[in-house]
Parts: sequence; structure tokens; C-alpha cells
Amino acid sequence: MKSILRIVLILLLLPIHVLAQEDYSFDLSEIEKKPYTLGGYLELTPKIFWLDHDSAFYRLNFYDREEQNYLDEYNFKLSMNGGYSKGISEIYIRSNIDQKESDIDSETDISVDEGYLSVKPSSALNISIGKKVLKWGKGYAWNPVGFVGRPKNPDDPDLALEGYIVATADYIKSFAGPLKAMAITPVIIPVYDHINTDFGTRNNINYAGKLYFLLYDTDIDFMFHKGNSRPSRFGADFSRNITSNFEIHGELAHVDNIMKKTIDRNGTITQSTNDIENYLLGIRYLTEADTTFIFEYYRNGTGFTGEEMEGFFGLVDNGMNAYLSSSDETLLKKARSVTEGNYGRQNPMRDYLYMRISQKEPFDVLYFTPSVTCIYNVKDESFSLSPELLYTGITNLELRLKAGFIAGSENTEFGEKQNDYRAELRVRYYFDVAK
Amino acid sequence: MVSPAFALDGNDLLLQIDRNLNPDSYEAYKKLINIEPNGKKKEFVLFTLKKGKDRVAAMFISPASEKGRSTLRLDENMWLYIPNVGKPIRITSLQSVVGGVFNNSDILRLDYTSEYNVERVEEKGDEYILHLKAKTRTVAYDKLTMWAGKENLVPVKIECLTEAAMLVKTIYFKDVRDFGGGIVRPAVIETDSPLYKGYKSVMIFAKMKARELDDEVFTMTFMQNLDSLR
Repeated sequence: MKSILRIVLILLLLPIHVLAQEDYSFDLSEIEKKPYTLGGYLELTPKIFWLDHDSAFYRLNFYDREEQNYLDEYNFKLSMNGGYSKGISEIYIRSNIDQKESDIDSETDISVDEGYLSVKPSSALNISIGKKVLKWGKGYAWNPVGFVGRPKNPDDPDLALEGYIVATADYIKSFAGPLKAMAITPVIIPVYDHINTDFGTRNNINYAGKLYFLLYDTDIDFMFHKGNSRPSRFGADFSRNITSNFEIHGELAHVDNIMKKTIDRNGTITQSTNDIENYLLGIRYLTEADTTFIFEYYRNGTGFTGEEMEGFFGLVDNGMNAYLSSSDETLLKKARSVTEGNYGRQNPMRDYLYMRISQKEPFDVLYFTPSVTCIYNVKDESFSLSPELLYTGITNLELRLKAGFIAGSENTEFGEKQNDYRAELRVRYYFDVAK
Repeated sequence: MVSPAFALDGNDLLLQIDRNLNPDSYEAYKKLINIEPNGKKKEFVLFTLKKGKDRVAAMFISPASEKGRSTLRLDENMWLYIPNVGKPIRITSLQSVVGGVFNNSDILRLDYTSEYNVERVEEKGDEYILHLKAKTRTVAYDKLTMWAGKENLVPVKIECLTEAAMLVKTIYFKDVRDFGGGIVRPAVIETDSPLYKGYKSVMIFAKMKARELDDEVFTMTFMQNLDSLR
């Protein structure tokens, strides 16, 4: 009798279910909204790089280390995000703990990528203050009009980025007729000691803004950045579906008085200041067989010419010769000083083509997406080719196996990269603590 | 709920079916279940909002890997917002944000009357059979054949066909139940497809209710704020 009572009690305490036919059920507790959220993911990414001993970047990074044929790297990441909302206000925070172990390096990085307060007095207005990611532009691999964000990694453009400390708002208005919607986004970006120090010159307040229109079924944005931390710039972008499976997009940015620092093979640094244009044109096309093609052309007006890159590679050559003959590191140290954010940045040259082909669920394998990505340097004809297998069939688990093949002759961008090949496995497990 | 006032005008009949399926402007929760031939299931839960003929938005609330993803449809324009990516991108109606047999236009479905004209109506026993033709070439399926109950005027089955009359998928409407507020409609929609042999996808509705919504909710800029409306 006691056990029957227990069973009845358990049944009574079970969550209310919307029972459907067969064994489908919808537990209403799944959709109960809590005032707080807490979730994120755990990620493990072992990588292996096959090193190219003849390349400029291998010599620059390894000349004072023991010679190695390959490099192992293990990355562990815990990314957590949480929020609390009350009335029209919400606090949101996203932080990461990154641990990297490799044959040559070991580091732990704890960062707060986003942390802001937002107030939404109505559906038309959202005001935010704090550290926030603002991604502008329609390009998949690059965003020349991303004036208030950090640059994406074109090899992995979907990665979450770190924001800047800003005060911003979105004001939205909808209409009937060809102009369906418009939105205004003003942004204030202070740059002082300990605040946005990597945005540009300190002790300045920068202003930026974006005006969005959905006009004749085309997304159109106009944007600007004005301030003394970075050269002023303005631009526009658009995106439109030509047919239901064919989209085109583009971006154009004009930058005033941007300074470029080049170095020749003797280590002489030259600075020049010019107005430049950066632009991008791209398409996304979906076939009936569920194959998606993304093509983009990117003109990087601030990029180096072939001759300027050869000057840098020549400097590494000369520096290596000096180091081998007399242990003189002067030139190599000079080359290192212009690497980060300059010659060593992602895609430092002028003209690039991007192509990504992905096939959704081939051979009826659900949640399986193989793809291949190619980044081609038009000027020096070097390229990287990255095949990838993605499987998301297990709830909250994402498995990605990715390889990278880099090809190019001497004195080319990809030919002088540190490694010839690489392989990585990314295992990511998502969790939701608040559920 | 059922209006007997029409004299078999196909488009009036379809409009009545639309209104019986959902109010003109509403909110609802949907659970999608993809079922593989070996019985393995994957579930997704969405919060959905719809307003008028051409506006619909949805946000994933589970599983954790999809949480916060939002999709927006404004007529034939569709966007996907992924929290990690941080900005909406345009997508197409034929893609699927969840995998499986349901595609984006099934998940972000507009009223049938906004996308289709009724070419002809047949009467067979206690059912109407409506033959629908897409108003434009951008609609996901060129033709639909819809079986609807004469008594309750809600669909029983829909066959989705290409322009060449090839069957793409069949949608079954089951388990008619009272959601309150005068909404009596199928709570379960099942679909299968000859293109995905052995696979089945199911959509279960809960907490559907009429709701007045601002137009600004259905804009690209608002996509990341949809959770604030729950």
C-alpha cells in the first residue's frame, strides 16, 4: 500500500506535461523563464603544426630555440556567460579562461570579453553601457566597415570576439512600404589608461555611428568613426537576396590619413600617411543539393605591396645570416618589432579571394557538415586550404576536425608562414546551468 | 470557430484555415524533434512570435548549444543571429537552422494565404482538398495539396510539391486541442520526406496565445533581444 501511495505521490509531483500523441511530450518546465541565465561551453583543442624550416616566420620565431619539425599545442577553454534581468534592465557578462600548453609556450589567460548593463524602455530603444561586442559589416571573412570591433580571423570567422568598453544605443523604427525598417546606433568609445588601451591613442573620446535601412528588401548601412585614437573613417555596406538561394553583399570603407610603417631588407623603417579605401564584395549561394558556396573578394587598402613584403622577408634573411655568422640579433629583433599587428597580422597584403564550400548532411548523415575553405592571395598566388568535418549529432556536443595546408613559393605570404600543415580537433561541450 | 459563411471560395476557405491555425498576431512555444531511422532523437525548443501576414521571429531556448540563436522572417527576407557570431546574417528559406526535415520556412511559417493562391478546391467525404500555387518563385514549395477537415477547418495533411509536381515532403497535423482564448488547433505536426528516407521531424506547440506586438520586434536590430519578450 505504501509503495502504491509513493507511486501516486511521484506521479502527482511530476511536472505538468503537454501530452501529445505517440510518446511526444513537451514539459512546460522547459519553457519557464528565470530572471537569470548561466551557461557556456568547455572546449579542448589539441593541435599539431608541421613546421617549415625555410620560412621567414619559422626563422624569426625559432632562431634562438632548438630546431623542431613539429609543434604540439593543447588548448583548454572555459567560456561562461550569465545574465540577470529585472524589469527593463539586464546585466550580461561573458568571460573566458584560456589555457595553452605547447612545446615552446605555456600560458593562462583570464578575460572578460563582454560585461554590460542594458536598459530597454521599449521595443524600439535599447541603451547599453559597458564592454560589448559591436560587429558591423556584411562580409563573412572580413569586415572593412567593422569600425568599432576587433578584426575577425578569416580562418575561423565565427569565433566569439572581445568587445570594447562603450556607451551605445539602438533606436529602431518600422514602416510600411519599400522602407520597412531603419535603426540608428550611436557609439561612444573612451580610450584612457586601463580603458580600451588597444583601440588607439589614449586620452581621447571617440564617436561612431551606424544608420541602418531595410529598403526594397536590401539591408543597407552607413557608418562612421571620428576621434583622435584612430584615423577617421566612414563607409557603407549592403546585403540582398537576389533569389531565395542567392545572396550578394558588399562593404566599402574610406579611411583618412592612415599611417603605414614599412621596413626594408636593411632594417630601415619608412612611414607614410595616405587616404585609403578598403572594400569587399561577396556572394552566398545555396544549391538544391544543400551545398553552400561563399565567395568574397577583399581589397585591403592598408595592406603591403609585394615589394614591401619582400623587403620584410629580405630583412629576416639578412638578420638570419648576421645571427649565424656573428650571433648578431639586431636585425632579427628589429624584424620582430614590426611583426605583431603589422607584417605578422592576418592577411597583411592587399588583394584576397575567399571561398568556402560546405555540404549539409551528405549521404543522409544528419548534423554532419564537411566543408573546405580557401584563402588566396591574388598578388603573390599563395594560399591556404582548410578542409573541415563538423558533427553536432550529440546534444550539446560539437566535434570539429580541421586541417590546414599552406602553399606558396619563396617570398610569398603563405609560403613564408611558420608551418606547412596543421591539424586540429575541437571538442566543445555546451552547458546551461540555469535550466 | 468555424465559419460556414463561405461558398467554397478557395481563398476565403484558406484564410479561415489560417485563422483557425493561429491568431493574426501571437506568441507560442514549439518543440522540434528530429527522429533518425535508428530511433535517435534530437530536440530543440523555440519561442516564436508572429505578427500580421509577413512577420515572424523565433529564438531557441534549448539545447544549450543553440540557446540564443534567433531567426527572423520579414516577408521573403530571412536572417539568422548566432550569439557567438554577434551579428545577423541573411539565410534562405530552403536552408534548415536545425537540420532534419523541417526547413526554415517550416519553422518560420507565414500564413498560407500570404504565400499561396488557391487554384481549386475538391470535396471528398468529410474533407476539403485545396490545391495551392505559390504566389512567387521565392516561396519554398511551388505547390501544396492540403487536406482539411470540413467540420473544424484545420489541415489534416499537406503535401509539398516542386513545380514539376515532385513530392518534397508530407506534413501531418495531429492531436487537435484547445489552447484557450478560442484557439483550437493541432498541437502536433509531423513531417517526413522521400528525400530523407526513414527520418521524421515533429513539431509540438504549447502556450499559443494572441499577443499584440510592436513592428520593431520584427527587425534585424531587435533579434538579440527577443528573450526580453518572454
